[in-house]
Amino acid sequence: MQRRTIMKAALTAMTLTALQATTAIAENTILKIGFVGVTSGPAASWGISNQRSMEARAAWINETGGYTIGGTTYDIEIVSFDDQKDPKRAIAGMEKMAQEGIHYVVGPNVDDGAAAVRPVAETNGIMYFPYAFPKSLYEAPASNAVLGMVANYQSGPAIYKYMMAEKGVKTVAFIAANESDPLSQRDGGVEAATALGMEVVSANVTYQVDTTDFTPVLTPIMRTRPDLLVLSGVSPANAPQLIRSARELGFEGVISTETAQDAGVLAEGAGDLANGFVSVGGASTPELASPMMIEFVKRYTDMFGEYNDESNTKVYALEYILETLKADPSGITDVDAFKATMDTFEAPNPYMNGDAKLRYVGMSSFGQKRQVAVPLVVNVYQDGAFETLFVAEVD
Amino acid sequence: MEQILANGVYLGAQYAMIALGLTLIFALMNVLNFAHGQMYVIGGFVTYTFYGQWGVPFILALVMSCVTLAILGALIERFLFAPVIKGSAREESTMLLAAGIAFFLDAVILLVFGEKQRGVPKIMDGVFNYDFRLIMPYDRILICVLAIVSIVSFIGLMQYTKTGRALRALAQDRTAAQLMGVNVDRYSMIGFALGAMLAGLVGGLLVTITGVNLGMGGATSIKAFMMVMIGGAGVISGAIWGGIILGFMEAIGLALLYQYGDITYLLIFISLMIFLAIRPQGLMGKPWG
Amino acid sequence: MLKFSLKQFVGVGVFLVIIFIGVPLIIGATGRWDIYYTLTSVALLAIASAGVWLTFYIGRINIGQGAFALIGAYVSAILVVKAGWSFWISLPAAGLFAAVVAILIGLPILRLRGVYFAMITLVLTQVVTLTALALPITNGARGISNIPLPSGISVFGMSILPDFAAMENTKLAFYYTACIIMILTYAALYRLVNSRLGHLCRSMQQNEELASSIGVNISYIRIVIFAISSFFGGLGGAMFGSIAQSVYPSSFQVADSVNFMLNCFLGGLGYVFGPMLGTLVLYFGWDLLFEFGKYQMLIYSTVLIIIIRFLPNGLLSIRFNKGGDK
Repeated sequence: MQRRTIMKAALTAMTLTALQATTAIAENTILKIGFVGVTSGPAASWGISNQRSMEARAAWINETGGYTIGGTTYDIEIVSFDDQKDPKRAIAGMEKMAQEGIHYVVGPNVDDGAAAVRPVAETNGIMYFPYAFPKSLYEAPASNAVLGMVANYQSGPAIYKYMMAEKGVKTVAFIAANESDPLSQRDGGVEAATALGMEVVSANVTYQVDTTDFTPVLTPIMRTRPDLLVLSGVSPANAPQLIRSARELGFEGVISTETAQDAGVLAEGAGDLANGFVSVGGASTPELASPMMIEFVKRYTDMFGEYNDESNTKVYALEYILETLKADPSGITDVDAFKATMDTFEAPNPYMNGDAKLRYVGMSSFGQKRQVAVPLVVNVYQDGAFETLFVAEVD
Repeated sequence: MEQILANGVYLGAQYAMIALGLTLIFALMNVLNFAHGQMYVIGGFVTYTFYGQWGVPFILALVMSCVTLAILGALIERFLFAPVIKGSAREESTMLLAAGIAFFLDAVILLVFGEKQRGVPKIMDGVFNYDFRLIMPYDRILICVLAIVSIVSFIGLMQYTKTGRALRALAQDRTAAQLMGVNVDRYSMIGFALGAMLAGLVGGLLVTITGVNLGMGGATSIKAFMMVMIGGAGVISGAIWGGIILGFMEAIGLALLYQYGDITYLLIFISLMIFLAIRPQGLMGKPWG
Repeated sequence: MLKFSLKQFVGVGVFLVIIFIGVPLIIGATGRWDIYYTLTSVALLAIASAGVWLTFYIGRINIGQGAFALIGAYVSAILVVKAGWSFWISLPAAGLFAAVVAILIGLPILRLRGVYFAMITLVLTQVVTLTALALPITNGARGISNIPLPSGISVFGMSILPDFAAMENTKLAFYYTACIIMILTYAALYRLVNSRLGHLCRSMQQNEELASSIGVNISYIRIVIFAISSFFGGLGGAMFGSIAQSVYPSSFQVADSVNFMLNCFLGGLGYVFGPMLGTLVLYFGWDLLFEFGKYQMLIYSTVLIIIIRFLPNGLLSIRFNKGGDK
């Protein structure tokens, strides 16, 4: 750990000098993009992976001369606010963004924060890209939120369908933390599984967020012997422990989740027991990652000492904001122009091999285009790394 | 049934250890240490660094956790708690200090060890499986045994050594202990260091099972408070009983009430409130204010 | 009993001028519009903290105010969204409901003292959060969102309270509302502390048995004080719900309960206006340190530790005698 700290300190010093150097040379206008999310406390890893992927990308852009929108070249500055997972603070964060004259904000990371900032965002003309799933955020009359990832009610059915077809899964059990986001995701998952004709054998077991021993929690589920165990909205901290406990209790079926996980955390926390664990990721598996994705991972690692696989899904929001602004430069000050562009916007996806496109979707889920089209990459963990299980599209 | 009992014993042993350190500090100085959970987390991270990262033998890593936390505890007592206790009109003011330290340690943990969940290689492979009626991985059994050994040796220390006697005297009556020639300042520091060390030890032990992340601190403190309350604040045996009772309550509660899903914990908490309303000083606490 | 010195009058006057005229002028001049929300939050959290301070006044450590704030937020949200009440009527109703809950819960738990009372109130916060997650009327995990802004009230065509939804900028309106409620709260608190009841409370804080033996009905006073305290909590929570236009089980949690308590400690337990100052420093301080990025928490906690190390009796113990203390 000592080594890592020293390395971190050295890197910070280096980036600082690098930053100073670039500010000295660059005469570019600054374009500020905001981030409001949780970067301290128990859920810190959600926000930090988010913030760091934005900072890594911004540093990269600035280093290579800036980002040109409508003839002007901008340096990107990320303004982040730690809301401590408290909706009251999240509002303060959004106010701060408005104060800084920012019109595009990534975050918040959770349902309650995303709902709480809505009034501020709408009165101040801020588009925000939350990582929260409640449909009311994206359906009319709400119009300023854009879902920054694939929602569980979209990825869930795809995963279950695959499981039924490929693994012959018939029965499913759900387990969720006793908290807003996971419980909502569980309810969505149960609905989807029932609609697909699976038999839900257990859906009401919950655990406290602070649980350290999952054996007693899982014991009753294991008795129902499901083919598939879904960890609804599981936090990266709890996933390895749940997997480990389930396997140690003799569970032999498939375990899956609809949130992004980190391979390193799984390897440390559950080791080989995590083999076969299915989760949702971005495009960083070797088969899919474009040269740009590979460079992004490298730059992120250089900058912060260690990559976090959760960032795979979080690299997109900033790219979408910039690309959409490029498509219509008036969006920089005029959010309504941005919204209009969203309906027709299309650009190649730089992070993924093949001809994937960046575009806005969500018509079938929200009735308006208020979601970024992120490739729905379903991964399976194997011996310390993720492998791509299948790729699907969201409409 | 066997499984529930085994889960209860395992949970109870680890909870009792967490509660012991907290109650010791409370008994000695009337300080409700909000930072206890953070100390536990630091203990976990120290063991993770030594054992998980650098490959030092597990026992040695555990010792490092204990030493680090003992030093940290001593420093915190000497330079923060002792002067604040002397200067404050109402002794509850130390709660603000404890909370400040908890925030501080959280910030340090985040900066030094990062935001990710961490885990170490299993110290023992294999699962004890008795006909699917009793399933317990060997490493859990080992940790449970180690926890019980630690608790027993702690009690031994308190009962039969000079330090232990001094600490007990201090807990019973500060002024009287001082009059009997106990160096109060010195033993307060030793006691605080001992309490912090226990937190570090249990953090180091449990990192092998549950791993560690920076968010565990606050939640652990709150759980420890509940155990201390159940048993009676400031009473060593009370903390052990509190830990065992909460462990069994969770094991049994989860086994019997799981079909109620979302309200299992609600029921556990409500029964706790009812218990305390009936017995305001906990199981063995003194009826004191 | 309530004799104000000239100095106190001037102090209160200056304070009122600052928050109602000074702050808007400064914000207008500097263009820092985001400060309004921060100060509104401070005012609302100070209302809830005032309640916690009041329970300290009878010698009880209250780590349960988050529970009552959450109850208040939900009651107001449910009355507005599901029953179609005006927000302005739901606001006192939220406070009253919280007070009724406090009476029911207080009857058994107020017999507890010291850390036992502190801990049981801490558990109470979790109980209320879990209840909100489990009940159908609170919408469980999905929370209540899209709460309309407070509507106007007019009597005989005269507009008493304006319609927030029709306003260009609700920030200022919420700021004034929160400040007015805060001032009413602290005026009530000051009045209470300097009344006969306040004297009885002080005697209880010293020694309950002694107070009881000289004929003070301590169980009655405890309940009344706890109910008033929770009323403040309910008010603060309800106002927050209407600003965020949403309420979730996690809107107020254990961390909030702890913060309310810390506000009181920081300001000083011996001073009526302590919680207000404590809230201002704790909440505003966090915001001011925003520039430090990832070191924000480190600096914040270090400053906190230094303050308590050198001013263990609270900020006001440096005899910063504004507006008068007890």
